[in-house]
Amino acid sequence: MSATTGYFVAGSSWLHRRNPLTKLLALALVLLSAFLLPPVVLIVLVVLIVVAIWSAGLLRPAARAMRIPALLLLSILVVNSLFFPGATDSLVSFGPFSISREGLTFGLISAGRVLVAFLASVAFLFTTLADDMLEALIARGASHRISFVILSAVQMVPRMQGRAGSILEAQQARGLSLEGSFVRRIRALVPLIGPVILGSLVDVRERTFALEARGFGARPNRTAYRIVADPPIDRWLRLAIIAGCVGVVVVAVTGLAR
Amino acid sequence: MSDDANAAPPPLRTDGLTVRYPGRKAPSLEGITLAVAAGERVGVAGRTGAGKSTLALAAAGFIPRVVRARLDGRVEVDGIGTAAAAPDALLGRVGIVFATPANQLSASKLTVREELAFGLENLGIPRGEMDPRIDATLARLGIAHLADREPFALSGGEQQRVAIASIVAMGTAVLVLDEPTAQLDPAGTAAVADLLGELARDGAAILCAEHDPSVLGRMDRCIVLEGGRAIALGVPGRALALAAEVAGLTPPTLVRLAQAASMDLASAFDEAAVAAGLRTWVDAGRPGSTDGITGRPPSPGQAWTPGRERPPVRIAIDGVVHRYPGRVEAVCGVSLTIEPGEAVAILGQNGSGKTTLVKHLNGLLRPDEGRILLDGESTEGRPVAELARTVGFVFQNPDDQLFERSVEREVAFGPRNLGIAAGDVAGRVAGSLAAVGLLDERTTNPYDLDLSRRKLVALAGILAMDPAVLVLDEPTTGQDADGVTRVGAIIEAFRGAGRSVVTITHDMEFAARHFGRIVVMRAGEVVADGPPERVFAPGDATLLASTGLALPPAARIAARLGLDTAALDAADLLAALGR
Repeated sequence: MSATTGYFVAGSSWLHRRNPLTKLLALALVLLSAFLLPPVVLIVLVVLIVVAIWSAGLLRPAARAMRIPALLLLSILVVNSLFFPGATDSLVSFGPFSISREGLTFGLISAGRVLVAFLASVAFLFTTLADDMLEALIARGASHRISFVILSAVQMVPRMQGRAGSILEAQQARGLSLEGSFVRRIRALVPLIGPVILGSLVDVRERTFALEARGFGARPNRTAYRIVADPPIDRWLRLAIIAGCVGVVVVAVTGLAR
Repeated sequence: MSDDANAAPPPLRTDGLTVRYPGRKAPSLEGITLAVAAGERVGVAGRTGAGKSTLALAAAGFIPRVVRARLDGRVEVDGIGTAAAAPDALLGRVGIVFATPANQLSASKLTVREELAFGLENLGIPRGEMDPRIDATLARLGIAHLADREPFALSGGEQQRVAIASIVAMGTAVLVLDEPTAQLDPAGTAAVADLLGELARDGAAILCAEHDPSVLGRMDRCIVLEGGRAIALGVPGRALALAAEVAGLTPPTLVRLAQAASMDLASAFDEAAVAAGLRTWVDAGRPGSTDGITGRPPSPGQAWTPGRERPPVRIAIDGVVHRYPGRVEAVCGVSLTIEPGEAVAILGQNGSGKTTLVKHLNGLLRPDEGRILLDGESTEGRPVAELARTVGFVFQNPDDQLFERSVEREVAFGPRNLGIAAGDVAGRVAGSLAAVGLLDERTTNPYDLDLSRRKLVALAGILAMDPAVLVLDEPTTGQDADGVTRVGAIIEAFRGAGRSVVTITHDMEFAARHFGRIVVMRAGEVVADGPPERVFAPGDATLLASTGLALPPAARIAARLGLDTAALDAADLLAALGR
């Protein structure tokens, strides 16, 4: 993973060949469905996305990328099951803890939604080159500033991961110990996170200068060197996806699904 | 300025330029009047904080449009006043390149070709014209072979040349650079300096802020700033000598030698001329010797004193091999013993394995084969935080560690981690800040200091931990002569206290002056190891050149003069000539 390509995994699968905007809209549709439609839809969504990732040949890297989110999902599930406020219907008890039906249900739904969000984002980031998305957005008339912010956001995580390694080394070299009690470890995070953020600000300033020197956004009649493919099928797909988004919102607002 | 009304205006001109940053009383730049002609290279020299970057930012039209500051007087690019110019009026006329190579690129392009296209897109150049323009630019700058490489896989020197090419491809005839070689190795620095020469021959007007004499010496003229004012302007040799005289700046070695030989300073950076001048001077019986060197010796500031009695530590690197996953060996079987009180400079091109090797000393990396012994005890299984008590490691980029809201708290972080009593910490913080000359900045936020001083804060942070072994990764990059002297004094103090120092550096002169032992690495192996007099001896120049390094300036002159011993600095060479 590099700062240029982010999570992008080079390939030519059907998912890679879609226009970035199509995928961006699809991502929106998935997120709307996950959060607005009845929870049972989550199962369908997870299956669909996993099949999509598998058919693009990205199952293995996707599984690797999901290791840390998996911890988050697990903690959402555990915390809700055990500590759901006002829960009355206890399923299992052990010692002072008990798993409540309300908590388990809520935990499953929340974890399911987060899982769908992560999986869909992984499918998107793995198959979309940040630069292509930038071009596609600008070609659609998106403002340069907004496009740049989106590009930076996509590149931010890999960039910070790269820095985090150096920062960890530098602070350990100053005697920062990452072992010991929970409180101690939490306190050790300050000198690690501080430089990530402060150093990134220094970086952003320099990078903004570099873009400024190259005239990014200075003229309205920008041209494009890189041609981002937009096959006819993508146009139909986008129409269908937009219709789908409208449909999801209508269903959610009118309560048809209840 | 009374230019002939009929003559074309110079591509870049400032007239009574004064810049004030908000919240600061004194102007950062005051009354600068300068014209850079087409085909001319003007260097900007001066101490850290003298206003070099401010002049660069103003000349490129970044002040006041991008960087908020009050600009009085006038800056003109191609006759257009920058202060009132429309946002895109300067586009394709003036460009600027900064110090950090990776940050000069757009960060989203997969090839150098696309990187160059980025500026053309923003100019609105039709797509069909892009490739010819890109190819022409790359060919002109001699980097056509990089066209299809990934920008982020390039070396720093290559990245800087791509950054310059990206600006030039836009048709820009005025190029401003702010310490473009500060982070490059000698080969990268020379390549960038060559490139600037090519561009000037093609008619570009170049303004380049720099510390490195090897770059400044190749400019047509230099302006020297001190406290925001111009104190000298002229051919590099004369301007830098004058600045030494009126403001006590350390003159470059070649200028000192030229002065000693009483020769015309205009050719001070012409090594053949300096050698010839010195020969004439020796033949004439060395007139005016001993007081031939002007400029007061730089004050080392307050010397660093070790915090407490610490037993010296002997380092043994024993057959260390390190492989990065999926790559070739970065270090292939290095064995070195470093005795207490020894100062070792490790030289080598980027990628020669220097940093990988020294990261083993405090356990940041573990050897795949071989071992590291500190006083006979293996580092195996000992955590970095524990080894940090013995081995202090200062990283190249200070921004990887600074996080506190004041310099003082930042420096106290290390000793606190070691569990030092609060009362002792305060003393150590004061002592180490005095040694780097930042005692007055103790309540300042580190990020309000410039990069060179942030580096000194990081160094003070390690000094305060009072380590037995000091490891420094490129401590002098971006430092002016005073900063280099400070770092040198700290190294001397360490040696004096019987402790050892291991330093990675690209600065040959710094290595020659402060280190008793020079280790040269190439492709993960040690290819030379010995005292500087031997490693920098004229006979070894071919070996050194094979590693992409060059002799320090005084040693190069010694080689030209056919001396059989290496001269490490100007005084050394003059003394050798006297024998």
